[in-house]
Amino acid sequence: MAGIIGYGIYIPKFRIEQKEAAIPWGSWAGGEKSVCGADEDVVTMAAEATDNAMKHAGIDPAQIGAIYIGTASSPYIEQYVAPILAETLGLRPETTMMDYSGSLNALANALLGCLDAIAAKRITCGLVIGAENRATALGTEGDANFGAGAMAMVIGTTGTIADFEGLHTYSTFFLDRWRSVKDSWVSNLNDYRFDREYGYQKHVAEACKGLLEKLDRKAQDYTFTVFAQPDDRIPSLPAKDLGIQKERLAPGIASVLGDLGSCSAFISLAGVLDKAKPNETILLASYGSGSSNAMSLMVRNQIDKKRKLIVPLERYTNRKQYITYTSYLRVKEHVKRGPY
Amino acid sequence: MRGKVAVIGVGMIRFGELFDKSLENMIQEAYLNCLKNVEKGIDPKEIKAAWFGQWSGGFIGQGAQSGHSLTSMIGNREIPCTRLENACPTGGDTFRHACLGVASGLYDVVLALGAEKMRDKPSAESLGGAGGGGGAETGNHPAWMIGQGGPAIQAMHATRQMYELGYTMEDFARVAVKNHHNGTFCPYAHYQFEVTLERVLNSPVICWPLHLFDCCPQTDGAAAAIVCRADLAKKYTDKPVYVLGSNVGTDHHQLWDRNSFVEQQSTVKAARGAFEMAGIKPKDVDFAELHDCFTNTELMNIEDVGFVRKGEAARRLKDGEFDMHGRLPINPSGGLKAHGHPIAATGLGQIFEVVTQLREEADKRQVKLKNGIGLQHNVGGPAFGVAVVNILSRSL
Amino acid sequence: MTQPAPASPMFWRFNPEVFRLIGIKCNDCGHVSYPRTRICHECGSQNLEEYKLPKKGTVHTFCVNWAPPPNFEPPIMPIIVDLEGGGRYQGLMTEFGAPEDVKIGAKVEMVLRKLTTDRGLNIYGYKFRLV
Repeated sequence: MAGIIGYGIYIPKFRIEQKEAAIPWGSWAGGEKSVCGADEDVVTMAAEATDNAMKHAGIDPAQIGAIYIGTASSPYIEQYVAPILAETLGLRPETTMMDYSGSLNALANALLGCLDAIAAKRITCGLVIGAENRATALGTEGDANFGAGAMAMVIGTTGTIADFEGLHTYSTFFLDRWRSVKDSWVSNLNDYRFDREYGYQKHVAEACKGLLEKLDRKAQDYTFTVFAQPDDRIPSLPAKDLGIQKERLAPGIASVLGDLGSCSAFISLAGVLDKAKPNETILLASYGSGSSNAMSLMVRNQIDKKRKLIVPLERYTNRKQYITYTSYLRVKEHVKRGPY
Repeated sequence: MRGKVAVIGVGMIRFGELFDKSLENMIQEAYLNCLKNVEKGIDPKEIKAAWFGQWSGGFIGQGAQSGHSLTSMIGNREIPCTRLENACPTGGDTFRHACLGVASGLYDVVLALGAEKMRDKPSAESLGGAGGGGGAETGNHPAWMIGQGGPAIQAMHATRQMYELGYTMEDFARVAVKNHHNGTFCPYAHYQFEVTLERVLNSPVICWPLHLFDCCPQTDGAAAAIVCRADLAKKYTDKPVYVLGSNVGTDHHQLWDRNSFVEQQSTVKAARGAFEMAGIKPKDVDFAELHDCFTNTELMNIEDVGFVRKGEAARRLKDGEFDMHGRLPINPSGGLKAHGHPIAATGLGQIFEVVTQLREEADKRQVKLKNGIGLQHNVGGPAFGVAVVNILSRSL
Repeated sequence: MTQPAPASPMFWRFNPEVFRLIGIKCNDCGHVSYPRTRICHECGSQNLEEYKLPKKGTVHTFCVNWAPPPNFEPPIMPIIVDLEGGGRYQGLMTEFGAPEDVKIGAKVEMVLRKLTTDRGLNIYGYKFRLV
C-alpha cells in the first residue's frame, strides 16, 4: 500500500483559555485552544501546512496527480478550495481537484480517496490536506472548545516515512453534530451519553475491530493509538473496548488546541510521527457524522533520514499569544462594527 | 519657454470647507476674481483657449470629467478646453499646459483654472478616496495596494528620513508650526490659526510617525490664472510676471520599484529640467511654494528641488532659514498644511501666491525679493511619481 | 469607484504573481519587480526573464496606519521589504503584537493570508510575519 512521503501541520498562534468563552454564559470549560487570526481561514492555514509537507517530502509539485482537501469549514458551499492550494504550488491543470466536506470525517475520507486513486494506478502521488476553523454560535459549548489548525500529507509509494498497511470503515446514519445551509454555526443536542457512546465510541471501536480482524492483529500490538479528539478523555472509551492501555494513546491535544474537527486525529498523528522510530506501528481512527475510518501505519527507516526537514507540532504549540474574549468575539465575527 | 509667456491675472477664492458652495459656484467666483485681477482690464472674449484642472472627476464629491464643463460654467463655449488630471500636480500642470498653449504660438491669451470639491463627503471618506482604497481600482492587486494612500506613503518616507537622516517627529512638527504661522497672514488660507509644537505632537497619530497635524486638510477651493504672450503682457498690466521654466518630472508608479525613500526623483527631475529651461540655479530663487501635503514632505521637497543638500533641511528650518523673513521663505501662503489642498486648485493657488509676491502685493505676508524669482512645486500620484515645477520672475 | 470583484478577469490574470510570486528580473540592469511586464520599468530593456520572488527578506521601511480603508480594522502596517537576493515587495504585516516590534532591518517572511472579502469571495495574498 502507499504511505506518507512527507507531512506538515499549521496551528495559528493566537490562544484563548476555553473558560473565557464559557464563564460569561454561566458554563465552564477547561484548557485552552487555538484561534485563527482575523486574516486567517482554512485556505491560509492549509497553505502553510502544505508548504511544510512539501519541504519534508522533497518532491517536485509536477509529480502530484491529485489534490484532496478535507474540511467541515470551507468558506464556500459552491466553489472548491483545492484549486486555490493548487495555484500556490503551480500544479498542472491535469491534476484532479477533490474537495471533501460536510463532516468531521472529511479529511480521513480525502485520504481514503487518495489511497484508492493510487491503488487504481490512476496517480502515483497525491496531496491530502485538511484544515478546520468551524463557525460557532455565541455561548455554546462549541464556541468554547472548537479550535483551529491544518495538516497536510504527500502520499505516494516511493521514499515513504510510514506506510498504510490496511483500512477499514464503519458508517451508519447517526446524527450528533450538524450544520444546515440556513445556519452559520454547528449545532449539537449535547446528549452526551448518546453521542459519546452510541456515536463516537461505537463507530471507532467497530472500525478498529474490523481492521484488526482483516490484518489478524491485536490492538495491544500497536506502539501508538491515535483517535480523533473532540476532547482529551473520549478516546479512552473505544480504547477500553479494544483493550488498549491508556499509555499507548496519543497525548491529549484537545485541552491545548481545542477540538480540531476533521484534522484532530491527523494533527495528533503528526505529533506522534515527530518522535516515532522505524518499525513502530500506529493505529489511527477518525470520527465524524456517524463515520469512522480506521487505518494501520508502519513507520519506515526513511523517517530518521528526513527527520531534520520536519517542522514539528511542538514548534507550533509553543508559539502562543493569548487574546481577550472581546478580541475573540470580533475575530469570530460574533460582533461586527456598525456602519456609522 | 523663457521669454515667451507672461501671467497677467490670477484669481482665487478662500480655500476651506465651503459647504455652501458647489463646484460651479467656486469655479465662477475664482474665474471672475481672475478677470478683475487683470490690472488694465480684459474682455473675456480675448481668452482663446482654456485648460481645466479637475482631479477627482466626481468620485469623492462633485467633479467634472471633461473640458466643456468649464466653458459651460464660464459662459464661453467658443473656445477649446481640455480637462487635465495629473494627480496632486494637476493644478501646476494645468498652468504648464496653458503656458505651452501660448509658447506654441497658437494662442495669444489663455485661461488655466483648477477646482476641487472634496467636502461633500466626510473627511475620512475622501482621505481614503485620495488613494488607499482596496487597491484593485488602480489596476494592481489589493495584496500590494491596501492602505497605500497619501498618509501611508509619506509616513513610510518619514520612517526612512528618521532612520537615514536622523530627522525627528519634532523636526516634522516644526514645519506645521511655521506654515500655520504664515497662514494667519493669508486671507485665502483654509486655516488661519497658530499651532504649537506640543499641539502637533499631541494630536492623534494618523499614520505613525505622522500625526493629524502633520497632514494637510481635505479642502474645497478653486484658483485660476490668465496667461498671454510675453510681448503683449504690458497691454494688460504694468506688473506682468514671466514664466522662466515649466517642467513635469516622472518616476516609478509602483512604490516597490523606487530606489530611495528619502528623496522623490519626480521632484528632482521636474526641478532640474525647469532650472535648465530657465537658465538659473536654485540659489537664484527668492522664495518657493512647495508641496507640503505632509510636514516631512516639505523637508524632502526643499532638498529634492535643490535648495539644500539631502539631510540639511531640518537643521536649517530650526535655524529659521525658511521662515517668512528668513533667507529662503518656504510657503509664505501657509503651504498645503494651513492654506489647504483642494487637489486640482492647489497648484494654481500657489501660482496666485507666487505672482502676488512678485508683484509685491502680498501685504502682511510679503517676503523680501532680491532677484524677483519665485518657484512653485507639486508632487503626487501613485508612488509620488509625478511632480511639476514652475519658475516665475518679475523680469524677463 | 467600485473595485473589480474577485471573480473578474483582473484577479484571474494576477494568479501567478499573487500565489506563486512570479515576477521578472531584468538581465540588463538587474531590476527585480512584479507584476510581470515586457519592458523593464527601470531601464526600458526588453531583455527580461521570469523570476520567482523569494519569501524572505528584511524590513526596509514601514508605517502604522490608524486610518485604514473601510473594512480594515486599525491598525494596519504597510511595509516595504528588501527581498533576499534583490528586489523589493510591498505588503501588510500580520501577527504583530505591538507596532514597536517591527523595526527597519527586522527579518520577515511571507505567509498567505486572507486580505478581505468582497461580494462573498475571499481575496488572498501574501502578508509578512516576523521570523
